[in-house]
Amino acid sequence: MLTKFETKSNRVKGLTFHPKRPWILASLHSGVIQLWDYRMGTLIDRFDEHEGPVRGVHFHNSQPLFVSGGDDYKIKVWNHKTHRCLFTLLGHLDYIRTVQFHHENPWIVSASDDQTIRIWNWQSRTCISVLTGHNHYVMCASFHPKEDLVVSASLDQTVRVWDIGSLKKKTVSPADDLMRFTQMNSDLFGGVDAIVKYVLEGHDRGVNWASFHPTLPLIVSGADDRQVKLWRMNETKAWEVDTLRGHMNNVSSVMFHAKQDIIVSNSEDKSIRVWDATKRTGIQTFRREHDRFWILAVHPEINLLAAGHDNGMIVFKLERERPAFAVSGDSLFYAKDRFLRYYEYSTQKDAQVIPIRRPGTPSLNQSPRTLSYSPTENAVLICSDVDGGSYELYIIPKDSVGRSDVVQDAKRGTGGSAVFIARNRFAVLEKSTSQVLVKNLKNEVVKKSSLPIPTDAIFYAGTGNLLCRSEDKVVIFDLQQRLVLGELQTPFVRYVVWSNDMENVALLSKHTIIIASKKLVLQCTLHETIRVKSGAWDDNGVFIYTTLNHIKYCLPNGDSGIIRTLDVPIYITKVSGNTIFCLDRDGKNRAITINATEYIFKLALLRKRYDHVMSMIKNSQLCGQAMIAYLQQKGFPEVALHFVEDERVRFNLALESGNISVAVASATEINEKEQWYRLGVEALRQGNAGIVEFAYQQTKNFERLSFLYLITGKLDKLSKLMKIAEVKNNVMGQFHNALYLGDVKERVKILENAGHLPLAYITASVHGLTDTAERLATELGDNVPSLPEGKTPSLLMPPSPVMCGGDWPLLRVMKGIFEGGLESAARGGAVDEDEEDVGGDWGEGLDMVDVDGMENRDIEAILAEAEGAEEDNDEEGGWGELEGLDLPPELDTPKASANARSSVFVTPTQGMPVSHIWSQKSSLAAEQAAAGSFDTAMRLLNRQLGIKNFAPLKSMFIDLFSGSQSYLRAFSSSPVVPLAIERGWSESNSPNVRGPPALVYDFSQQEEKLKSGYKATTSGKLTEALRLFLSILHTIPLVVVESRSEVDEVKELVIIVKEYVLGLKMELKRRETKDDPVRQQELAAYFTHCNLQLPHLRLALFSAMGVCYKSKNLATAYNFAKRLLETNPVESQAKTARQIVQAAERNMTDTTELNYDFRNPFVICGSTYVPIYRGQKDVSCPYCTARFVPSQEGNICGVCDLAVIGADASGLICSPSQVR
Amino acid sequence: MASMAAGPDHLFNLRNSFYLGAYQAAINNSEIPNLSQEDIVERDCLVHRSYIALGSYQLVINEIDEASATPLQAVKLLAMYLSSPENKESTIASLREWLADPTAGSNATVRLIAGTIFMHEEDYSEALKHTHSGGTMDLHALNVQIFIKMHRSDYAEKQLRVMQQFDEDHTLTQLASAWLNLAVGGSKIQEAYLIFQDFSEKYPMTSLILNSKAVCCMHMGNFEEAETLLLDALNKVSDDEPTLSYSDAKDPETLANLVVCSIHVGKPSPRYLSQLKLSHPEHVLVKRAASAEDNFERALQSFA
Repeated sequence: MLTKFETKSNRVKGLTFHPKRPWILASLHSGVIQLWDYRMGTLIDRFDEHEGPVRGVHFHNSQPLFVSGGDDYKIKVWNHKTHRCLFTLLGHLDYIRTVQFHHENPWIVSASDDQTIRIWNWQSRTCISVLTGHNHYVMCASFHPKEDLVVSASLDQTVRVWDIGSLKKKTVSPADDLMRFTQMNSDLFGGVDAIVKYVLEGHDRGVNWASFHPTLPLIVSGADDRQVKLWRMNETKAWEVDTLRGHMNNVSSVMFHAKQDIIVSNSEDKSIRVWDATKRTGIQTFRREHDRFWILAVHPEINLLAAGHDNGMIVFKLERERPAFAVSGDSLFYAKDRFLRYYEYSTQKDAQVIPIRRPGTPSLNQSPRTLSYSPTENAVLICSDVDGGSYELYIIPKDSVGRSDVVQDAKRGTGGSAVFIARNRFAVLEKSTSQVLVKNLKNEVVKKSSLPIPTDAIFYAGTGNLLCRSEDKVVIFDLQQRLVLGELQTPFVRYVVWSNDMENVALLSKHTIIIASKKLVLQCTLHETIRVKSGAWDDNGVFIYTTLNHIKYCLPNGDSGIIRTLDVPIYITKVSGNTIFCLDRDGKNRAITINATEYIFKLALLRKRYDHVMSMIKNSQLCGQAMIAYLQQKGFPEVALHFVEDERVRFNLALESGNISVAVASATEINEKEQWYRLGVEALRQGNAGIVEFAYQQTKNFERLSFLYLITGKLDKLSKLMKIAEVKNNVMGQFHNALYLGDVKERVKILENAGHLPLAYITASVHGLTDTAERLATELGDNVPSLPEGKTPSLLMPPSPVMCGGDWPLLRVMKGIFEGGLESAARGGAVDEDEEDVGGDWGEGLDMVDVDGMENRDIEAILAEAEGAEEDNDEEGGWGELEGLDLPPELDTPKASANARSSVFVTPTQGMPVSHIWSQKSSLAAEQAAAGSFDTAMRLLNRQLGIKNFAPLKSMFIDLFSGSQSYLRAFSSSPVVPLAIERGWSESNSPNVRGPPALVYDFSQQEEKLKSGYKATTSGKLTEALRLFLSILHTIPLVVVESRSEVDEVKELVIIVKEYVLGLKMELKRRETKDDPVRQQELAAYFTHCNLQLPHLRLALFSAMGVCYKSKNLATAYNFAKRLLETNPVESQAKTARQIVQAAERNMTDTTELNYDFRNPFVICGSTYVPIYRGQKDVSCPYCTARFVPSQEGNICGVCDLAVIGADASGLICSPSQVR
Repeated sequence: MASMAAGPDHLFNLRNSFYLGAYQAAINNSEIPNLSQEDIVERDCLVHRSYIALGSYQLVINEIDEASATPLQAVKLLAMYLSSPENKESTIASLREWLADPTAGSNATVRLIAGTIFMHEEDYSEALKHTHSGGTMDLHALNVQIFIKMHRSDYAEKQLRVMQQFDEDHTLTQLASAWLNLAVGGSKIQEAYLIFQDFSEKYPMTSLILNSKAVCCMHMGNFEEAETLLLDALNKVSDDEPTLSYSDAKDPETLANLVVCSIHVGKPSPRYLSQLKLSHPEHVLVKRAASAEDNFERALQSFA
């Protein structure tokens, strides 16, 4: 039993769940009805109008109503919203035991000690039927959830089922109220609306409770004979099915569970019992020490029960509803029903993986509790409470997203909890000895280790580490070092959630979340009033968690807040950006999109990522007082400034953040003395004299202003101020300013004007203004004051200001960063756009290349058709016998020595290095080169392709050889271990079987080179193009491909490249021979007969046409122009060609004779570049197939520069498939 | 064999750092309180072997004097052997003296050093003479390596099984099984990779782990990833050990593997090769490349 909520109160006699909200009503023996929120654990309301015990209470399923009935014979209908009793139904003549609303009709059924059951219409507020028949107290009566039946239990030892079908007919019939009223009177005793259908006899004592099954025709009853009886009924009869014995005292209440196939009963024997409804056996018993149970209630929708007892009530559920799950990368594994299921986050694909064992015993809470997954081994550990804690280990077969129903024979064991601690190791807790067993996937114990604290559960804590939980603390224990890595006092931890980078951990307790580092250094603690359910880390290090009714976040500094509310509890499995993935209580995966703005914003602030902050402020509408308060509180008034529209708040924030310019703007806007004053104070603090002056001017604060001028040395302004004072007739101000200015004459004048003649006189005489003094003395006459003796007067002058005017230099830190962030954000945007543009260009570029490739492939396809046949069985005999050399590795000797191992150690003979195996096995030149057998490689190439000039191949040989080994540093300070790198690795290769060596060159590289060669040709970089094409020709002898079709492609490539090499060589030659126009024309002409790509052919034709035209060989030029026009060239080329055609048509002659007859088919000699017309003798290169005049026989081929012209050769072998 | 462990193992971290190539960390964290006399000797051995691995031979030779314990003397011998190849004859002679002595000759560290030195001499049977009986994880691991070098993975596997029986999760057991996995190839490469992956998740990254991972990648045909790992390793060396003489000479295996990788990804970089030639003229790859050139010229002769 999982207790969710408990109350202490007077004896609880009636209970009812609210169908939607987390509320429960408890009616007490004291007469009070309490309304509790069992989720929040608070008393919402109390209704205290009944006198004496209230035994029955029931919520209406859709209206804000409930009904109660008590020992005061009254049935009261209440509106809990308005907290008012709406009306009272009177009629029963004794205690009322139960009351219940009908699920559809406006009816209430009540059972009473007056031996009757009454049905009331709460709309017309009348009793519509009285069911008589019981001859003792009726203890309980309730409607059937669907049919027109009522079941009642009575101390007369019977259970009765009543048919109220006619009652229903009567109400739905159009008969008016008056009719019904009269009818009711006649029905009052022994009417016909409700008739007894069945009387169920079997209990030996009074029956306290009877209730219907929600869907099946079953009734369960409990009585003072301590028995629970199960009854079945059909259309015509009802009979006793079975008796459930076990209670030791009167059974007070019994009902069917809403969702599971179980019966729950409680009794005055202080126990609640759970029974299997099918097997009719007891499953579990929960006992209380002192409290007799009186009432049960089942929640109509969710998996909750409540029971009332002598001192309060409990809300509980029987089974955990949290699905066991494990997250690994993009996948979630979870247990549902009796299957292990798999969910892929990216695709939201959900599939059943394997069936898992169904618990053998019928007891509750045996379903999987935790799940641990090892991705590399594809193994799952499922822990449950079966047999007091046990685990099962399943290996998921690779191909099994099947629906096979056969339960795999899992490896099992007992233990408190089991988790994977490494790829192929898991730890099992032995609670009794506080030991941990480390096991391998065969379920064999590899290691035992005692734990540092008495542990009742273990969790994963990084490879090889365990997080051990005890009642009041957790420790992280390194199993290898047997060291405690960290320790933390915590409330009882239920779940442990590691951050994605394993740097932080969240420890979830019932009401607490503790975030700690991987060494369990406390980072923050959060307290929740509502139970914490689950959590996951987002990618930014924010912990997202759920309580029963909220999704919330927790920042690394412990700030938390609500993201949204929840209707039903969910279990978060993963957070990915704005999406929260979770499992609900039915084991369904859900993806919830949340608004992450708030916490991302706060996080950005916390991490001082002001650029993010800025862009978020600009782009999103997060606003409101809460955010401003948060910013202020967290010391970011300057950020808050950006949110605020209200000038006063803005002004305050600006002052707080010291942003004078904003403050000035706001102050101007507001224009009140108070603001100006504060602005002045702040400006003074910052030494911003200009603003101080401005603020003082605005408030007309002349005293301060003049003092400011004095200390900043602005004497001209000071004198102006003096004039103002004079105009304003402010003598005191005038005098002050004069004093500040050191203007004695003015002072004397002021004093004189003010009538202070003696003072004026003294001032004048002290400062040596004798003229004025005398004049004043005469005016004063006798009253001339005497001057003090023995003191030397001095002129009081204003001090010279240290710094004349100007503001203090400020370190603009706050502003700088922030404004900087703003700018950089803006700039960042611009850069992005630029980059996008570039990307576009690139895309186009690639497209062009692709087009090339397409054409290329077409040509290749044509060539393939042409040549496919002849190449087929070319080379079978040549090196086939090499396979025979497959020597068995020397296995005999080691066996002998192994046997002799007993006493004397005999060093085994050395094994065969992999390179030897390669060179023995292979008949491919490249593989021989990789194995280091250069001579064999050369011999092969010579025989296959007639190659004799190996110099161009040298670097490739050496690269192949160097590329065939890697170097492993094994034991410190010992020699390095070279390892042979093999080709074509796949997971399924069996070990110890040597594959062929990894090679450096492959066909796709050559294709790439071909493309670049084409590009270079198009752009006229002919030397570069020639280099590329030659490099292809030089590499191909060392290229190895896998399939026969690829061999054909390689051979085609040789032909294509050969044409280009020949053509380009001629073209380059032509450009050299400037002094020989005839030869130039000839070479240009031959070039047009190489097999080129169309664009290149056009270029060749265009140049040939030009050369010939210039040399006045118009007929030949005409021919080229015609050919060019046939290729559909670009307009500029076409135009020239047409002009030449026109010119030539007028004068169809050649001025010079060329060795070129385009009508007669020919090939070109690869060395001498002369045409070899059809029928003439020629020899060819065995490798590149270039043709030569017979005199060239025996020379190195002028095209490929590798093979000997006319040499015997068996043909290119470049694939193991050719020699198999 | 399930070994029931007793108290905490104080030298665990030190040993691990050493095995996984975090030599500087091993040296820096060698001050461990409450060590037994035996542990102190082992600690000193590990520290000095770390110095050797970092190339600080002279420091080791200077610090270990006549009064030091036998195992330390053996470590000094290794430092002498590696520091002056020209005097290796005399070093080997004194090593043989040590080995002839029944007490010193049976000391595990002496045997380990003997095995290492004879392995450098490519005299595997002499090396095995002293190491084959095993006794410590180090010795067994060395045996595995010797057998791998002899291309006798069957024997290496036997040694590994002994190690696994002793402690399957020991760092050296894991390492040795990874070495063997690499040597036998095929599907085992994946396992080797996973072992190094486990290490990299559990311990601070060292250039040794990165390198080993890179080798796995290379053997799985993934040269791009290998190159990334190796470049990481190259930066690691310069980050971690900036004050040591070793640091200006980059880790030879990293360079060697980089040479191989760059050949495979089709962007040959002569820089790595020349760096390697400069810093470690005796490296296998350098020697191999040189012999390949000779080999090529010789093979050409037959076509002249």
